[in-house]
Amino acid sequence: MTASELCFLSVAEAAALIAKRQLSPVELTHAYLDRIERLNGALHSYVRVLDQTALAEARAAEAEIVAGRYRGPLHGVPIGLKDIYDTAGVPTEGGSRLCLGHTPAEDATTTRLLRDAGAIVLGKLTTWEFAIGGTAFDTPFPPARNPWNVERDPAGSSSGSGAAVAAGLCAAAMGSDTGGSIRWPAAWCGLAGLKPTYGRVSRAGIMPLSFSLDHAGPLTWTVEDAAIVLQAIAGPDPRDPASSGWPVPDYRAALAEPELKGMRLAVVRSMFERDSVASEEMRAAFDHSVEVLCGLGAVIGEVELPPLALYGAAAFMIARGEGFAIHEKTLRERPQDYGALARERLTIGAYVRASDMVQAMRRRRMLVDTTAAAMAGIDALLLPTVPDPAPKLGELAPYFGNERPPYMRPFNLTGQPALSVCNGFDSAGLPLSLQIVGRHFDEATVLRIGHAYERATTWRQRRPQL
Amino acid sequence: MADNLEAQFAIETELLGLKLLPGQQESLLAAYAAMREMIALVGADHPMEAEPAHVFLPDAGKERRA
Repeated sequence: MTASELCFLSVAEAAALIAKRQLSPVELTHAYLDRIERLNGALHSYVRVLDQTALAEARAAEAEIVAGRYRGPLHGVPIGLKDIYDTAGVPTEGGSRLCLGHTPAEDATTTRLLRDAGAIVLGKLTTWEFAIGGTAFDTPFPPARNPWNVERDPAGSSSGSGAAVAAGLCAAAMGSDTGGSIRWPAAWCGLAGLKPTYGRVSRAGIMPLSFSLDHAGPLTWTVEDAAIVLQAIAGPDPRDPASSGWPVPDYRAALAEPELKGMRLAVVRSMFERDSVASEEMRAAFDHSVEVLCGLGAVIGEVELPPLALYGAAAFMIARGEGFAIHEKTLRERPQDYGALARERLTIGAYVRASDMVQAMRRRRMLVDTTAAAMAGIDALLLPTVPDPAPKLGELAPYFGNERPPYMRPFNLTGQPALSVCNGFDSAGLPLSLQIVGRHFDEATVLRIGHAYERATTWRQRRPQL
Repeated sequence: MADNLEAQFAIETELLGLKLLPGQQESLLAAYAAMREMIALVGADHPMEAEPAHVFLPDAGKERRA
């Protein structure tokens, strides 16, 4: 197997070889480090490569496996972490001048759980400043670029996570999602990106942006890989007061059924044909995806949800109010040290009055209830993730999400699990995307649908040419 | 309340004690205008019993109480 082939193994494929001792974690880690060395200068997906510690972790994993102490499908598998995930003894800088040199004493809970599962941390990945600052050129680290076309935006805020997985610079990556920041780069980089249910995965030790909208989750090449990562990180955490004790099922076992017979899915056509009209190619890919799911035995219906702008307005005020509360002190004392986009997006939160915030939270409750009622008797919702494929780097308007909103934010507001999968490519070769939204804590169904779709199509056979 | 958006923005900025950097006022005013529209969209005329969503834990409370 060539080095490139090694780096394009899915987590499941690499794990199968490692478990049978046909692939050395050390060899695999070397392959990734060599590829990062060769490509990161063009993609800027990593802000910090941990080559020495990654190799030490790989050697330790190999020794354990040889000694018969195999931990499971992440053992010996190299991953990357968005640079808002705390890593003990390693700087976690949040893409900001304000945090340069900030070195946490302990790992984020998710970092620790991934290490416990045997994953090898290759490095820290580029993020929009504090997961909000947009594609910026006035922050300490250059913006990540899209591996499908380096002149294009990979989206964010988990921009490095999306770019690195698509480019074969790690087997899986962790991101965070407050208004779409896992699913958006997954959509533009052609990946599986899972925002789990609010409370499903701990956020402890991850830089907060909006306490009641932040979610942590994986970006991976396949849906099966997302299930593997979720298995390692799901569950309650005393360090995160919002985390839930809801039982954690066997996510990979849920993927075993190849068909979707009797599953009831509903298209949210109002959002992408009325509220924010998706491009022709995106709609054509969506319609084809629905045909594929129908062919797998799913029963397809349609639901109408409240206007996208209403979800967006409530989410915007909550996110900005909570974000300003987190950043007020430094915004007042060191405003010049923020990039212009992060400064503006956070400062506007100062103008959210207490009554505005409460009204937004009341509206949120109504939208949660309305969405739940619309899903009665339905297993999952279907809609595109975004209206368009990736634009050129730097062409995203500062308030892009308000002018031409993508379709992700409603499910940060409701807290439902939502998965983005690649469902084709446009005429320029850029990825298109399908979003699958489930009931609270029913990630298993969302993953099952996504996995069945991937197996029934050929999109996972195409990789960026770099 | 001031007569127009710009004046209201200026009053609130002063009340909040925000020191804006050069060039920041114009972009922030545009964001402020967009946010006023969103506040209107969210509305304030909710039924009295419409309870806010607190820190959001769907169904998890049931599990913990069980």
